[in-house]
Amino acid sequence: MEDVVSTIIRALALGSPLLWAALGEIYAERSGVVNLGVEGMMILGAFLAFAVAQTTGNPALGLVAAAGIGGAAALLHAAMAITLRANQYVSGLALTMLGLGLSAVLGRRWEGLPLLNSLPEISSLTYAGLLLAMALWFILYHTSWGVALRSAGEAPAAADALGVNVSLVRYLAVVFGGAMAGVAGGFLSVAYRPSWTEGMTAGLGWIAIAIAIFAAWDPLRAVAGAFFFGALFHLSFRLQTWVAPEPLQMMPFAFTILALALTTQRGRRRQGAPEALGIPYVRGER
Amino acid sequence: MSRIGPFEITRRAAPPLTWVLGVSVAAIAVALLLVAVIFWSYGVGPVRAFSVITRGTLLSGRALPEIGRNAIPLLLAGVGLVLAFRAQFWNIGAEGQILAGATAATGIALFLPFSMPAPWVLPAMFLAGFVGGALWGLLPTVLRLRLSVNEVITTLMMNYVAIYLVSWLVHGPWKGPEMRGFAFTNSFPPAAVIPVIAGTRVHWPTLAIGLLLAAGSAVLLSRTKLGFEIRVQGENPDAARYAGIDPARTTLLVMLLAGGAAGLAGVGEVAGIHRRLLDPNQISLGFGYAAIIVAWLARGSPLATIVTALFLGVVFAAGDVMRVGLQMPARVTDVVNGLILFCLIGSERLLYYRVRWMPARARPSPAAVGAVGAEGSARGTSGGEA
Amino acid sequence: MRWMKGVLVVLLILTFAGAGAAQAKLKVGFIYVGPIGDYGWTHAHNQARLIVEKELGVETIFVESVPEAQVEPFIDKIIEQGAKVVLTTSFGFMDGTLNAAKKYPNVIFGHASGFKRNPNMFTYMADFYQIYYLNGLMAGALTKTNRIAYVGAFPIPEVKRHLSAYALGVRAVNPRATINVRWLFSWFDPAKAKEATEALIATGADVFAFTEDSPTVIQVAAKRNRLSFSHYSPMQKFAPQHVVSGQLVHWETIYLDFLRKVQAGKYTATNLANVDYWWLLGERAVEIGGEFGVPINPLFVSRLKAARVSVPGLGRMSVYDLIQRRTAQMTKKPLAFDPFTGPIRDRKGVLRVPAGKTMSVLELTTMEWAAPGIVGPWPKEP
Repeated sequence: MEDVVSTIIRALALGSPLLWAALGEIYAERSGVVNLGVEGMMILGAFLAFAVAQTTGNPALGLVAAAGIGGAAALLHAAMAITLRANQYVSGLALTMLGLGLSAVLGRRWEGLPLLNSLPEISSLTYAGLLLAMALWFILYHTSWGVALRSAGEAPAAADALGVNVSLVRYLAVVFGGAMAGVAGGFLSVAYRPSWTEGMTAGLGWIAIAIAIFAAWDPLRAVAGAFFFGALFHLSFRLQTWVAPEPLQMMPFAFTILALALTTQRGRRRQGAPEALGIPYVRGER
Repeated sequence: MSRIGPFEITRRAAPPLTWVLGVSVAAIAVALLLVAVIFWSYGVGPVRAFSVITRGTLLSGRALPEIGRNAIPLLLAGVGLVLAFRAQFWNIGAEGQILAGATAATGIALFLPFSMPAPWVLPAMFLAGFVGGALWGLLPTVLRLRLSVNEVITTLMMNYVAIYLVSWLVHGPWKGPEMRGFAFTNSFPPAAVIPVIAGTRVHWPTLAIGLLLAAGSAVLLSRTKLGFEIRVQGENPDAARYAGIDPARTTLLVMLLAGGAAGLAGVGEVAGIHRRLLDPNQISLGFGYAAIIVAWLARGSPLATIVTALFLGVVFAAGDVMRVGLQMPARVTDVVNGLILFCLIGSERLLYYRVRWMPARARPSPAAVGAVGAEGSARGTSGGEA
Repeated sequence: MRWMKGVLVVLLILTFAGAGAAQAKLKVGFIYVGPIGDYGWTHAHNQARLIVEKELGVETIFVESVPEAQVEPFIDKIIEQGAKVVLTTSFGFMDGTLNAAKKYPNVIFGHASGFKRNPNMFTYMADFYQIYYLNGLMAGALTKTNRIAYVGAFPIPEVKRHLSAYALGVRAVNPRATINVRWLFSWFDPAKAKEATEALIATGADVFAFTEDSPTVIQVAAKRNRLSFSHYSPMQKFAPQHVVSGQLVHWETIYLDFLRKVQAGKYTATNLANVDYWWLLGERAVEIGGEFGVPINPLFVSRLKAARVSVPGLGRMSVYDLIQRRTAQMTKKPLAFDPFTGPIRDRKGVLRVPAGKTMSVLELTTMEWAAPGIVGPWPKEP
C-alpha cells in the first residue's frame, strides 16, 4: 500500500511538468499547428526561471519569466508556421536546437549554484495543472472560444467564412502552448530539482508531445497520460531489484510507442487529430 | 500579384535554380549575421571570430579531412531522409537507425559463431548494417501504415530504445575484457576495419557508398516508376490515389532505404572511426539529427545532399574551432545550426515569388522586358531581407 | 652606422627576450569529456586547471564536452594553439591520446584513469576508494533503518570498487546493514538521479551516497530528511543540515607535481613510459568531506562519538575514533591500513582477497565483484 502511495506521489511530481507542457501542445495542435520545439521552449524556461529565481530570490517570479520566454520562443515558431507558412516539423526542430544551444551558452554562469528559495515539488503548481486541465477541457468543448480554436484546426476555411480570424487564433494558441512549456521547464529548475544545468530537460519535451498525441488531443486524457508516464519513469528505478536496469529504462519510451499504437487503432484515421494539423492556412486556397 | 512599396510581387510555381541558390545563400548569410551578434554578446569580436573560424576550417590542412569525415555519415543518413521526406514520411529516427546499423555490423565483426573469409567481412558488415537500420525504421513505418500512428514520435522514441539496447550490450553480453571492465567491446579484427585515406580519418569506402547512394537515389527519383510514385505521393497524395499508387508500398520501400542508409552510416562510424562498439552516446555525434538539416537544405535532391552534407561538415568543424580557438561552450554549434535552419525555412516562401523593382510612376507596359536587370538587383535586396 | 648597430642590438634583445618569454610560459591543454558546469568530474578538473594556472604561471587552454572519438582532432587543434602538454581526462580518450602521442613525439601527454603509456604519455588517477570506506563507517553508524543507499552512474570497475569499499566500511561497524544500489546509466541526468533516490527512499533507505555529476541526490535526500555524502565537488552547501561528509578531489596535486617536474626538466617527452600516478589520501590527491577542510559535518560528530564498535585488533572504541584512526593509517606512508585487505569474500561467498593480502592496483582497477551487503542489480557480476 505504501508502495502504491509513494509511486502515485512520484507520478504527480514528475507528471506535473509533463502535464503543463502537454496541455500547451494540445492547444497549439488543436489550432492546427504542430510545434516540435517543446524541448527547446522547456529548456529556455528552465534556464530563465532559475536565473530569475536565483537573482531575485523569488521562484514564482522565475516561473512568470519562464512563461514569457517560452511564449516568445513559440512566437518565433508561430511566425514561421503561420505567417511564412514554413514546414512546421523543421521549424520545431530548429526551435529545439536553438533553445538547447542558447540556454547552454547564456546559462553558463548559473551552473552549479544552489537555489535557497525553491518551490515544493508537489505544490500549488501540481493542483493548478489539474485545474487547468479541467478548465482547458471546458473551454475547448463548451465555449465559443473552444469552437473557434477547434474549427481553426479542423476546417480553417469554414471557420474563416464564419468570421473566425484563423491566423490570430493560431498565433494565440501557439504562444499559449509555448508559455505552458516554459512554465513546465521552469518547474524543473525551481521545484523538481532546484538548480540549473545545460540540457537538464533530457528529452521530457518530446515525451510531452507524445502525451498530447496519445491523449487524442483531449486535456483531461492528458492528465492520465502525464501521470502514467511519471509513474513509469519512477518505476524504472523502483523495479531494479527485480528486473535488469537497461530494459527498465527503455520502458517509458517503448511504452510510449505501445500506447500510441493502442490508442490510435480504434476509430477513424488518426483518431482525434485535427484535420488541418500541420497545414498552413491561406485564405482562398484549399 | 501584389505590391509592397516599389516592389511588384508575383507568384510562380517552379523557381529557377539560380534563385533557389541565391535565396539559400542569402538566408545563410543572415543566419551568420545573427551568429555574429551572439559572438559579440559573448565578448568575442565577430570579425576576429569569423577569421579564426575560416582559418581553422577551410584554410587548415588538418581540418579539411575532418570535414569530409563528418560529411560521410551526414551524406548517408541525409540521402535516406531526402527520400523519406519526399514521400512525406517524417523520419526523426535516423540517430537510432545509425545505432542499429552499428550494432548489426559489430555483431558480424566480433560475434559470428563461425569464421568468415577476410574479404567478405566488410561487405557482410555493410549488408548487416543496412538491414539493421532498415529493420529499426520498419516498426514506426508499419505502425504509421497500419494504425496511422504519428511517425515523428515513434521514430524519435525508437532512438531512445536503441540507446538503451546498445548500452545493455556494451555493459553486459558484449563487454570485452580488452578495456578492463569499461563499457566497450573488444576492438574489431583488422578485416573488419574500414580502410582510411592515409593520415586522415576519412574511411573512403563508406564515402564511395554514400556518393553511389546519392547518385542512385537521384536516378531512382527521376528515372524509375517507383521514383515517380514517390514524387507524386509526396506532392499530391490525392492524385497519387487516383493514379492507383499504393501509398503503403512506396512508403515502406522508401523507409527501408532511408533506415538502411542510416544503418550504413552507423557501420562507417564503428568500423571506420571507433573500431569497436561503445557507449551509445559516443557512437554518433548527433549525425542522425543533423542529417535532417542536410536533407532539408538539399530541398529534395539526393545529389544536392553531397553539397549540403559537406556544408554541415563545415558547420560541425566551425563549432569545434569556436570551442578551441575562442573557448566558447560546446553547445554553440546547436545555436548556429538552429539559426541556419530558421533562416532557411523562413526564406522558403520567397522562393515562390518573383519580386520586381517597379516604382508606380515608371510602370512599364507588359511588353517592355527592360526590367530584367532591375529584377536582378531586386533579388539581392529581397533575399537580404529574408 | 652606429644607428644601425643600435637598432640591431635592440632587435636582437627583443627577439631573444620574446623567445625566452615564450619558452618560460608553458602552455598546457586540457580536454574534458563533460561540460565544465557539471559540478562533478569535469568541474573538478577545471578547478584544478585554474589553480595550476595561478600557481605555476603557465598558460592553459581547455575544450569541454569532447566526444570520445573526437579526441584526436581536438588534440590537433590544441597543439596548433601552441600547447606543449596535453592532458585528456576521460577513460574513453585512451586510444586517441596514445595515437596522438605517437604522432607528436615532442609533446607531452597525460591521460587520466587509463592504463596505456608511451615515452611521452603518462597516466594518472586520484582515487576515492579509501574515502568511500571512511564514508561507509559513518553511514553504518548513522543509519537507523539499516538500509543504506547508493545511486550509481555506470556499473564499471571504478564505480564497483567505490561501492564495494563503501559497503566494507558500512559492514565494519554495522554488519546488519545492506547497501542498496540503483543504476542510472548516465554520468549526468538529474531527473534519473532524482527518481532513483525517491525509489530508494521508498525502500526505507536513510543514508545516501552516489556517483552522479550533480547535487541532485543530496537535494532530494535532504528534502525528505535523509542523510547523504557529497560527491566529487563540495556540495555540502546544497544541504548543510544533511550532508555528513563526502569525497573531494584535488587533481591539482597531481598536475602541480607533474608540471613542476616538467618545468624542472625532470620529465620530458622521452621518459614517461613508466610514470603512473595512482594517488590517494596519502598524497593528498583526495580529501574526505563535503566541504574543503571539513572532514565531518560538526552536526554529526556527537552521534559518531556516541556510536561504539569493537574492532578486531583495536578493541572497543567510538566510530568517530575509528574514523580518525583509519584516516591516520591511510594517510601515513607506507600505508598501515587498506580497506581491501583479506580475507574478503564477495556477496556470493567466493573468496576474492586471501587473508593477509591486499589488492594490487591492477586488481583494483579491474574489479567486477560485489562486496557482501550490496543488494541490487550488478551487471556482469563474476
